[in-house]
This record gives sequence, C-alpha cells and structure tokens, in this order.
Amino acid sequence: MNLAGQIFAISAKEFKILWQDRQALVLLFLMPAFFILVMSSALEGVFEAGTSDRPFEVLLLNRDAGRAAEETIADLKRLEGLSFIEIYRGAPLDRERAERLVREGKFGFALVFPRRYTDEILRPGTEMTGKESKILLLVDPAIPRPIAANVMGTIQGAVERRRLAVQLPERWRNFFQSRQEQTPFEGFPFGGPGNRVEESPGGGPLAIPSPGEEALQIKYPGDFEKSRKPTATEQNVPAYAIFGVFFIVLTLARGILKERIEGTFLRLLSAPLPKIAILVGKLLPYYLVNLVQIFLMFAVGVLIFQMRLGSVGALLLISISLAAAATGLGLLVAALGRTESQVDTLSVLLAVSLGALGGMMVPVFVMPKIMQKIALVTPHTWALQGYHDSIVRGLGAGDVLMEAAVLMGFALVFFSVALWRFRFH
Amino acid sequence: MEAELEPCGIAVEDLAKTYGGLEAVKGVDFRVGRGEFFGLLGPNGAGKTTTIGMLAGFIKPTRGRISIDGVETHLHPMAARRELGLVPQELAFYPTLSARDNLLFYGQIYGLRGQRLEERIRTVLEMVQLSERTREPVSRFSNGMKRRLNIAIGFLHEPQVLILDEPTVGVDAQSRNSIFEGLGRLHRKGISILYSTHYMEEAQRLCDRVAILDQGRIIALDSPLNLIHTLETWIIPVKFSAPCQDSFLRRLNRFFPAQEMNGDRNGLYLEVSNREDALQRLFSETRRSNLTIRTLHLREPDLETVFLRLTGKRLRDAPP
Repeated sequence: MNLAGQIFAISAKEFKILWQDRQALVLLFLMPAFFILVMSSALEGVFEAGTSDRPFEVLLLNRDAGRAAEETIADLKRLEGLSFIEIYRGAPLDRERAERLVREGKFGFALVFPRRYTDEILRPGTEMTGKESKILLLVDPAIPRPIAANVMGTIQGAVERRRLAVQLPERWRNFFQSRQEQTPFEGFPFGGPGNRVEESPGGGPLAIPSPGEEALQIKYPGDFEKSRKPTATEQNVPAYAIFGVFFIVLTLARGILKERIEGTFLRLLSAPLPKIAILVGKLLPYYLVNLVQIFLMFAVGVLIFQMRLGSVGALLLISISLAAAATGLGLLVAALGRTESQVDTLSVLLAVSLGALGGMMVPVFVMPKIMQKIALVTPHTWALQGYHDSIVRGLGAGDVLMEAAVLMGFALVFFSVALWRFRFH
Repeated sequence: MEAELEPCGIAVEDLAKTYGGLEAVKGVDFRVGRGEFFGLLGPNGAGKTTTIGMLAGFIKPTRGRISIDGVETHLHPMAARRELGLVPQELAFYPTLSARDNLLFYGQIYGLRGQRLEERIRTVLEMVQLSERTREPVSRFSNGMKRRLNIAIGFLHEPQVLILDEPTVGVDAQSRNSIFEGLGRLHRKGISILYSTHYMEEAQRLCDRVAILDQGRIIALDSPLNLIHTLETWIIPVKFSAPCQDSFLRRLNRFFPAQEMNGDRNGLYLEVSNREDALQRLFSETRRSNLTIRTLHLREPDLETVFLRLTGKRLRDAPP
C-alpha cells in the first residue's frame, strides 16, 4: 500500500471511531454552536448595557416636593442609557426599601432626593454642604467600578447642570439686590477687573461649586465601611474562584469513567461494601480539593492584593455549598458520559457556558433580561452573589443563608439525577 | 420456605439473566466443590461474563439462587462477598500506584489492618514473584507482571472461593507458568476456584471439572478426561508435500463426511472413530493420486475437539 493509501486507511479508521461515538460527535458540533449562542447573549451586555435599548436600572425616590427635584428628574429621564424605577412590585419606594434592594444586589443604584432639596439649594447665601441639599446615590459595591463610575458620572453631570440652572436666576436676583447701591460695573457678575467672583457673597452667580458643594453624595448601602471602596480584586477573585471550582467536573468525571473502564469498580462491587460507600469514598477527595482550591484562591487575594474577606461564616457557608454543587455536577457528567470524549466535551461545555451565564465573565445585571433569568438557574450566580454579599457588601452568615440553600438545592438535584442514571459498569 | 443450597464452594441453581428481551443466561445449575478447580468454558457471548458477574455480585440475576461457601448471596450478600475473591478480565488496579499501595488499598477494603495486612501483602507478592518491584508504579510493569498482580489482589484477603475471568490473556509462556504454579498452590490449600478461559489447554491442565456454556446454557459438565472419552474419536492432522487436486478431496469426502474432515489442498484434519479404517483409506487415495504425505500425526482428541463437537465453534487461537 502506498503512503496515500496508508494515510487514507488511518483517516478512515479514525472516522469510523468518531462515528461510533455519535453522542460525542454531536457534542463536538453542538459545543461551538452553544458557545456562540451563550457567549454572544451573555457578553452582549458589555456592549449593549447603558444604551437606550438596554439601560441601567436606577431606583428613584423623590422625597422633595419642589421644582428643582422635579426638573432634575425630568432631565435624568431624558438621558439615554438610564431607566428610573419609582414603583417596584406595585409599591412606591421608601428610603429603607431602596437601600435594602441595593444592599441585596437586586439593583445596582438608587437615587434619593432629600425632603427639602429645592428649598436648600435655593436658599440664598447657603453653602451647599447641608444634608438636605445633597442627592443621595446608593451604589451596590459589587458593581464593577468602571460600570459604576460611568453611571455615577452621568447622573452627577445631569444633577449639577440642573442645580446650576435652578440656582442661577435666584443668584442673579440676589446679586442685583445686594448691588443696588453700587456702581453698575462694580462686582460685575463675571468678575470685573479687580473683582473675583469668589469674593462675592455666595461665590457670585456663576461660581463653580467647590468639592464640598457637590450635589451628589455617593454611598454604599448597609454596613459597608463608608471610607472604603471595593477593589477590583474583591469583585473578581470570587468569580475566578467559582469558575475554577467547576473545572473539578472534568477531573472527577474522568476519574470515575476510568474506574468504570479499567474494571476497578467491578472489583470493588464484588467486595463486602455498599455501593454508596464506593461513591462517597470516591467523591470526598474531590469535594475537599474544591474547598482547598477556594481557600487558596482567596488566600492569594488576601495575601497579594490585600483583599477583604468579610464574614468568614458567610464564606464558609457558601464555599461548602458551592463545593457540593460542583462535585454533584461532576458525578452527573460521569453518569451521563459513556466515553472519554463525551465526558471531556460535556465537562468543558458545562464549565464554560455555566460560567458565562452565571456572571463569571460579565456581571449578570448587564446581560439581557432573558439571560438574567437564565442566570438564576446556574449555581455560579448564587455563589457569586453569596461571596459578594460577604466580601463587598459586608453582610454576614445570616444574610447568605438563601444563597447557600439554593446551592445545596443544586447539589441535591445534581446528585439525585446522577444516582438515578449512574452505572458502575 | 426455600430448601438450603448444598454447602459447597459455589452452588448455582436455575440462574438466569435477561437484558431487555435477550436472555443471556438461561437457567444454569452447577456446583463447585470445596477445594475444586472448576473451569467455565464457552465461546464469546456464551454468557460466561454474565454468570461471573452474578456470582461476584455486580450483576443482579433475573432469577435463580447462588451460594458462596455455603452463604446464600441474596440473603447475606456482604458475608458471601467476604468469602469471595474476584480476578476480573480487566487489569483492575490503579496503574499510577505501586503494587504495594494497590494491595494496601484492597486489603483495607476487605478489613485487613496492621501487621496482618503487611503479612498478607508480603505473602501474596512472594507468591506472584513481585517482591522485588513492590514500590514502583504498576504502569511500568510488563503485561505478565500486571496479570500476576491482578491475581494477587484477588486472593489477598484469603477468600474461600476465587473466581478468575481469563486471567492469562496476553501473557507470555513464562508468566503463564508462574500463574499456574500460584494457582496450583491455592488449589492445594483447599480454595475453590472457578476459572473462565478461552484456552482449552489451560482448562485441561488445571481443572478437575469443566462446564461448557453455549448460548446461555450449560451443554456439558464433567472432568476434561471424561468429556474427551465421550467422543471416542481419533484426530489425524495430515500435511501434503504439494497441493492436492480437488478430485482427490472429492473422493475423500465420500469416505469422510463433512463433520469428520476439515482442511484444504495443503492439508487435512480428520476426526474419526475407526483409526485403522481411516488410515487405510487415506493412504490408498494418496497413492492413487500420486500424492506424498509430508507429516501425519495420530492423536487422541482434546478439550478443543470436545468443544468444537459440542458447540460447532472453535475457541480462539491456542496460547503462544
């Protein structure tokens, strides 16, 4: 047989092998299609978020009855890329509820106008440092900083412009009243020769507000330290940790498949021990490896990037539940995959696509609405929410009970389906 | 109330297994006496592996009863498994671990601990002649060494019954002999052995009795010698110096019907009951056709012949 013939024979054999494992073949074709679908839908948020098609949602609470607040809100509503929610689930917002929704990570931002905002900013000669003169913008510390800065800047700009516009006629009026006895050019509003606007009472009508006079007060809700801003590490390390944890699926599923193929399971099945002991003994090391993996990743964050951990109890709760979900998924893949190719492809497919859907690559809140709903059926979303609750939102173990319970729920479902489908040989 | 199965090494009664609509094992009965070396023979798909799976407890029978060393498996599965050692056809150990670590693990699974476990590891490693290579990863072993370790794990916990499924597949003659020696020693110690093989020569050499399984049923069960004697035939393999004519083969066919004669123009394989008559006819026809016989043997039949006669199928090639 000539060389071409030999090459043909080898290729034909390889095609036959591939054809025999049709499920793996289907996965191979489905995987890129699925990636395109999932990744495009998830990552679309990065490019679309903050546009008129997909605006950032901001809770809005107007406690002021004056025109300054009304006009500012009208300006804000005209902005592209922001949408304001004044009634949530059929009920108008109050200060506590708005703060709670941001604190729980349900909304990224809440804008609160104080009760006497209009009066305060129009009061002549007042420094704009009083509590009632500042609009409060509550920001979820888990929002990535570039996105938060973008939204904060947009709102701040609009607020400052409107404040100046509202104040300007009053300032002019006050200015002329206070200059009625002066010569026409003395103390000219734009600061005449020898006159500086800052020297006029109230800084002159066109004076730029000093830093203390900024109209927007930006705050993190709840117990988050006021002087602290979450770092990029605090926002990213949990996501990377979760993403990494689910790669145990591949190792675990391969390990089980190997035991099945090599006959070691048969030998164990003929030994005097129950099947459940074989499975628990097999899964336990992977579960512990997962916990060590999480510990190491957080240790790197703390030691190298001075990452804050928050409540150790909350972290433990989430980590224990997360590792259970990841191990359960590994067993499920081992139960469904019959060949090495099937196991490999399915593991990678799940690890990457669940990671993308669950907000490991882009935050869930910038994804399209439908993807945000789908994200809720991934353990990743709940784990990230739990870790962020502790690390960036400063919440405690009691506040992450729901996330931990949902993760345990995922683990239960994975284990149940896996045990139903599992074959030792 | 079910009557108790006769206490012996292995007792099997009306054992059957159905997969979907396919009946892989169709109600087999056999007994392996205590200390008996029992062979289970059969072509591929005969139901050997399914039968072994049911005996070892990892395949659930559709019906029937099994007892291992007098313990009924459906009543006391764990107690029955304690008395059983399995040597699967696959090399069922962890190749990245050393021989010692593999034995340590399986010993612990069977409840061996401390000094007792160390002693057993030492003993079995000596028996399978692996004492010099205890610490290196098993993946570096030759195929024969791996096979020996596979067997060592099976009898590490000193079971009363040892089931071996094709334990010598792919091993060289030296390793094969070493395995036979080890099995002989276990046999002499009084362990009941069920030995499944494709190699007739092994079954004939080792087994006190053999059961021939075909299409899920036992079609013969006796000592190899008795099975051979039931045939009352002689085997005559013949080789010619030059290819014979088709007319020669046609003429021989008149004397030897198809079930007695196999072969082609280069040689023949005769299986006859009357050797004198057969030889006389063969010589007369070769003379008539001016053929020269290069080799001719006259021998008694073996288990392979029995198998061929009973199943109409050959087992795979003889061992190297």
